[in-house]
Amino acid sequence: MSAHSHTEGQLPHEPEKATLEGRNKILGFWLFLGAETVLFGTLFSAFLALRDQVLDGPKSQELFELPLVALATGLLLTSSLTSVFATQALHMHKVKAMIWWLVVTVILGLGFLGLEIYEFSNYVHEGHGFTTSAFSSSFYTLVGFHGAHVAFGIVWISLLIGQLAKKGLTVTTAPKAYVAGIYWHFIDVVWVFIFTVVYLMGKVG
Amino acid sequence: MASNHSTEEQRPVRHKVEGPKKHIISFIFSILLTLIAFAAVAGGEINTDFIYIILIGCAILQVFVQMAFWMHMKDRGHTFAIIGILFGVFVVFTCVIMAEYWAWW
Repeated sequence: MSAHSHTEGQLPHEPEKATLEGRNKILGFWLFLGAETVLFGTLFSAFLALRDQVLDGPKSQELFELPLVALATGLLLTSSLTSVFATQALHMHKVKAMIWWLVVTVILGLGFLGLEIYEFSNYVHEGHGFTTSAFSSSFYTLVGFHGAHVAFGIVWISLLIGQLAKKGLTVTTAPKAYVAGIYWHFIDVVWVFIFTVVYLMGKVG
Repeated sequence: MASNHSTEEQRPVRHKVEGPKKHIISFIFSILLTLIAFAAVAGGEINTDFIYIILIGCAILQVFVQMAFWMHMKDRGHTFAIIGILFGVFVVFTCVIMAEYWAWW
């Protein structure tokens, strides 16, 4: 026992995989992510098919501002790094460090969400509403759906922070935190394709 | 209690928790790939098809790095995770190819 500095002396090395329930949660979550991949894939395919149908609305080349997208990308990418640090703290059984990394992750996520809301309101002012064209509808559906996932992740991780602060790290709370980390990375992975396919390819034309 | 203790001691190697190094390297790698992608578009003067290839290549590479290291897919016991995601990717490619075919030809 003396080799471990954590307070619950029985906590195993990878507490998220210590119980069958924990392992099942992680497996089930991966299957969920497979379904999420399909969901985003259909939205991407709709966007790719419709992105040139702009009617009287602005084209993607006129609309998108790369500095803003680059800043949002930087925020989300950094938040993915801080969330992997939280998972590492989990494996080291350092609850406090873990909570702080999760707090940083949530703050960066909020920054990303704020930028997206600012961006969308700018677009609407420039005459790029949801019903302006097939391009605008598929754009808002795809990027907005990703934004909704970010918002959901922020709420989820915030609640987890509260639970971790209250109950500490146990074989029950560990799988939740681990799975939330995987979810956050997945959101970042989807964003990689969004900034590539929607923004950069939209800018190229 | 005693049995728990002995099982923990049977695998002392696994207690050496991985450091942050490889995650920081993944992060720098991701940033670099992102910069290349943005620079290719901001730089302008290159052939459009070539830019597309750079963009898609950078995105796939970055996602591969992030999934392997940050989502721990390179770790043991992720066979079903890989099968699940690969099946999702298969459906995605089917959808994208179908939508493109329907829209452009």
